[in-house]
Amino acid sequence: MTRTLRLVRRRLVGSVFVLLIVVVGSFLMLEAAPGDAVDAYVVSMGGDAGLVEALRHSWGLDQSIWTRLANYLWALLHLDLGWSVTFSRPIRDVVLERLPNTLLLMGSATALSFFLGSALGIVAGARPGSLRDRLLSTGSLALYAVPSFWLALVLVIVFAVDLRWLPIAGIETIASNKTGLARAADIAWHLVLPVSALGFIYLALYLRMMRAGMAEVWRQDFILAARARGLPRRRIVLAHVARNALLPLVTMLGLQSAQMLGGSVVIESVFSVPGLGRLAQEAVAGRDTPLLLGIILVSAVTVVLINLAVDIAYALLDPRVGANEATA
Amino acid sequence: MPDFSLSRRSLLASSAALMASTALPRFAWAQTPKAGGRLVVAADSEPRNLNPAIVASNGVFFVSSKVIETLAEADYTAKDQLAPRLATSWEGAADGRSVTFKLREGVTWHDGKPFTAADVAFSALEVWKPLQNLGRTVFKDLEAVETPDDHTAVFKFSKPTPFQLVRNALPALSSVVPKHLYEGTRIEENPANNAPVGTGPFKFAEYKAGQYYRLEKNPAYWEKDQPYLDEIIYQVLPDRTSAANALEAGEIQLAAFSAVPLADLERISKVPGLTVVTKGYEGLTYQLVVEINHRRKELANLKVRQAIAHAIDKNFVVKTVFLGYAHAATGPVPANDPQFYTPDVETYPFDVAKANALLDAAGYKKGADGTRFSLRLLPAPYFNETKQFGDYLRQALAAVGIDAQLVNNDSAAHIKAVYTDHAFDLAVGPPVFRGDPAISTTILVQSGIPDGVPFSNQGGYKNAEIDAIIEKASEELDAEKRTELYREFQKKVAADLPLINVAEWSFTSVASDKVRNIANNPRWAVSNWADTWLAE
Amino acid sequence: MRGRFLQTPEAMAGTAILVLLATMALAAPLIFPGDPLRIAGPALVPPFQDWTLPLGTDRLGRDVLAELFHGARTSLVVGLAAAAASLAVGAVIGTLAGFAGGLADEALMRLTDAFQTVPGFLLALAFVSIVGPSLSVVVMAIALSAWTGPARIARAEVLSIRERDFVAGARVVGMHPLEIAFREVLPNALPPVLALSSIIVAQAILIEAALSFLGLGDPNRVTWGGMVAEGRTVLRTAPFLSIVPGIALVVTVLGVYLAGEGAVESAAVKKGLS
Repeated sequence: MTRTLRLVRRRLVGSVFVLLIVVVGSFLMLEAAPGDAVDAYVVSMGGDAGLVEALRHSWGLDQSIWTRLANYLWALLHLDLGWSVTFSRPIRDVVLERLPNTLLLMGSATALSFFLGSALGIVAGARPGSLRDRLLSTGSLALYAVPSFWLALVLVIVFAVDLRWLPIAGIETIASNKTGLARAADIAWHLVLPVSALGFIYLALYLRMMRAGMAEVWRQDFILAARARGLPRRRIVLAHVARNALLPLVTMLGLQSAQMLGGSVVIESVFSVPGLGRLAQEAVAGRDTPLLLGIILVSAVTVVLINLAVDIAYALLDPRVGANEATA
Repeated sequence: MPDFSLSRRSLLASSAALMASTALPRFAWAQTPKAGGRLVVAADSEPRNLNPAIVASNGVFFVSSKVIETLAEADYTAKDQLAPRLATSWEGAADGRSVTFKLREGVTWHDGKPFTAADVAFSALEVWKPLQNLGRTVFKDLEAVETPDDHTAVFKFSKPTPFQLVRNALPALSSVVPKHLYEGTRIEENPANNAPVGTGPFKFAEYKAGQYYRLEKNPAYWEKDQPYLDEIIYQVLPDRTSAANALEAGEIQLAAFSAVPLADLERISKVPGLTVVTKGYEGLTYQLVVEINHRRKELANLKVRQAIAHAIDKNFVVKTVFLGYAHAATGPVPANDPQFYTPDVETYPFDVAKANALLDAAGYKKGADGTRFSLRLLPAPYFNETKQFGDYLRQALAAVGIDAQLVNNDSAAHIKAVYTDHAFDLAVGPPVFRGDPAISTTILVQSGIPDGVPFSNQGGYKNAEIDAIIEKASEELDAEKRTELYREFQKKVAADLPLINVAEWSFTSVASDKVRNIANNPRWAVSNWADTWLAE
Repeated sequence: MRGRFLQTPEAMAGTAILVLLATMALAAPLIFPGDPLRIAGPALVPPFQDWTLPLGTDRLGRDVLAELFHGARTSLVVGLAAAAASLAVGAVIGTLAGFAGGLADEALMRLTDAFQTVPGFLLALAFVSIVGPSLSVVVMAIALSAWTGPARIARAEVLSIRERDFVAGARVVGMHPLEIAFREVLPNALPPVLALSSIIVAQAILIEAALSFLGLGDPNRVTWGGMVAEGRTVLRTAPFLSIVPGIALVVTVLGVYLAGEGAVESAAVKKGLS
């Protein structure tokens, strides 16, 4: 157990540096943007030179870039992400309100691609090189080649508009006053399409990794031994081959988390899911630099935590890891 | 009455819609309105500041006009095209130095406090004049508002202010906010800007960021039996195709402000139960304009500007970009304006040969590659149509040997590039005509506007003659003479082309047949919806 | 080698797709000279109606087939340029980190971590909206998040190579460490890094499409993603406008994957799909 704790501690220390790079780098990048929050405000609201100047002053945009960076970092130390001018609310509140929706979308999509992907991977890897294997491998790759927004548009038209089986947009029925289980079911119902659009695309990743891993395991001695002992093929596949091939997939979960988060930007936009990705788009459009920074930072923290969790899971699953794990 | 028939195509489209819905009685007003029900409408953006007294823009009005009322609303038939709201009558003095409003009695704010002349005086002096984007122009000379009794407000101006202008400004600029909530606070940061309290038929109930706004019935509304609806919900649907899908699936009942793309209207008009409505936006006409940077020496040459005007096929633009839901413009005032418009101006028919000849005459011969010169073209990103027109204009200019490179910016970057940095040669903009040239179209032509004022003349154009007309009209008290001055203004602008007016368009709505009493005034989408009701 | 490369039908199909695509891209200016965004006919002509416009026209009356050919060019350029940029940046940073070791290695790897921690698409979105969409900016935005994979692999390879004899030999001869790193070590570390290129090309094409979909494409160039985005508003009335470029995208990306996989398998480099 202490070994796991050591791993966690080292990861956390490294993460602080990583997050600092993320914050400063993003801040400087966003500062280079043409047009600021005031310009964006004026587009939707109208205004003249006097208003523009007054807003710039009251939003602190007339201070120097380094003053603002210093102020920002100082506030961060107090877990204060600043004030969103587009929402007139603290950024922490705005971001935390949206984060659960994105995590739900991401988590469900990851679960879908992981479980369905590895299950199909087992089917494909049970008989490497068979027709079934080839169809599944190439078919999932074709799915992986589909732009997610495209899949989303098609799913909406087929299942929501034409068949009317599922809702078109949103995270839950609006202003329905549902609570408890009814609300949970309602949210799950609304998530079916977005989760499918996101999850099916990444299915190939797990399917093919599972299959490749299984192909590797098949060749190993203990499998040969098991076969020699005359164990039924199905049992060998599940109990030995698949189990051993599963481990690398867990690592993949962590590596994929950042990509899933990025992928949800487009999906949230198509399905009007009020999550972090859409918030990011709104922040970019509104030139709400502190808000976008907050989103980037929170996404980065999320990814770091997911990877940490994956590392711990991996360490617990595989006793060889952690003892002399490489630094990077 | 203004001419509603934007074009034959749109007439056809709306009659197709009519036929599609013959199963249901179209003449809804013959029926007795039924109270109750929830109306769900699509919203494509989420304005954060919902105070229309500060932010007079359609995005804000769309939600807040149901909560906060103005002194008067636009009307198709009433005198001066104005229907009373919080004011029951208005009278301008002959010297142009005062306007007297009689106010409605027995009106209460949503929090129960009575509405009085003090609220009007406070709104005018503390909000419209110093803070409102357009009020700063109209009420710049407003000195005081006298309140002889609780239901009379007398606006006093330090300089003569045309009553015509004040009247024309009422529907958009006269939102009255409660003095008791705003007095003594920083008005721009008052929490009531995000949860407005008004006198309107609906109370602001809740806002869920990224999801919806909810308004609920004000049972104490001053108009007896109104409003009919129990609730209005604005569902946030940012994706361009969601509104049409949601209408078709029956999840929403109304998509206003062309939330359904023009190209989809013909198909959706055939969907049973849905109607395409082109009425109800006459007071919200948008102008498609090519803004010109006169600092660029080629563009400072009138012949080049004329050539560009001749190179644009306005009919193609109307037919292809707007699919008929627009019509070709002649000058800076739209043709559907009942007061000021004159067709008697210089026109520029589509003529590539003439455009080429003008460019040759201006001294810009075609080079070996067929190009005369290159320029940057910045289409405003706010509408699909402005972007598509940008794509078209690039091709139209290529046909006369001008190489235009499109620059694709988002809104914030576009505003900065055009109105602050002047980093453009041509820009495509959609200014709004607000019923009076003094609060709309003149600002795009007038000189002496400081850098950084959005949606204004930032092209470095200066014409003393036109400036003089604008100045004179701003003080002319006689409505007829004032109108005449603006006709002169239109002629001069069409002749000298400080900008090129290409087309004028209004929005369309797509609604369920169940929604009744829609589009019954020229600013319907941004009016109070007190008489809107839902049929079974 | 060649025989082995084309040994599976999947690899053959992938290669065939890529050859077809390259032909389209190269032939585009010959078959469809001039600006493919030129208005060529009436708007919204359906496919197979008019033999001069075989795939019909879009909202403004532009020739869809011409756009498709020129779009192949842009998509390939974006994919290859983004892959080249990220492989170059990744290989250099990975080599420096692996070869220098110590604090420099630590710093460079934390930098890599940082870039890997921020969702790549979010970064690309922010970058493009800030700098303004043009083809080169889109390429840079994609490379911005794609260089981390090559960097990690390059570093791992360099770590294993730098202790070998020929490197020690170079040190003894007195070569400058940077010279050793880039002339002796990097070329040997390159093959596994290059194996990533097909994935990066494919991802780049998809990211460009998604950016165009969100309105962040270069308006002066035709891209398939831009075509899908533009066709989306008329998805119900003229579905072919988004289906045709959509299929082109899927087929191309699939082709890149299949061919890449064939190449990797034949080079006997066993890496997963990451």
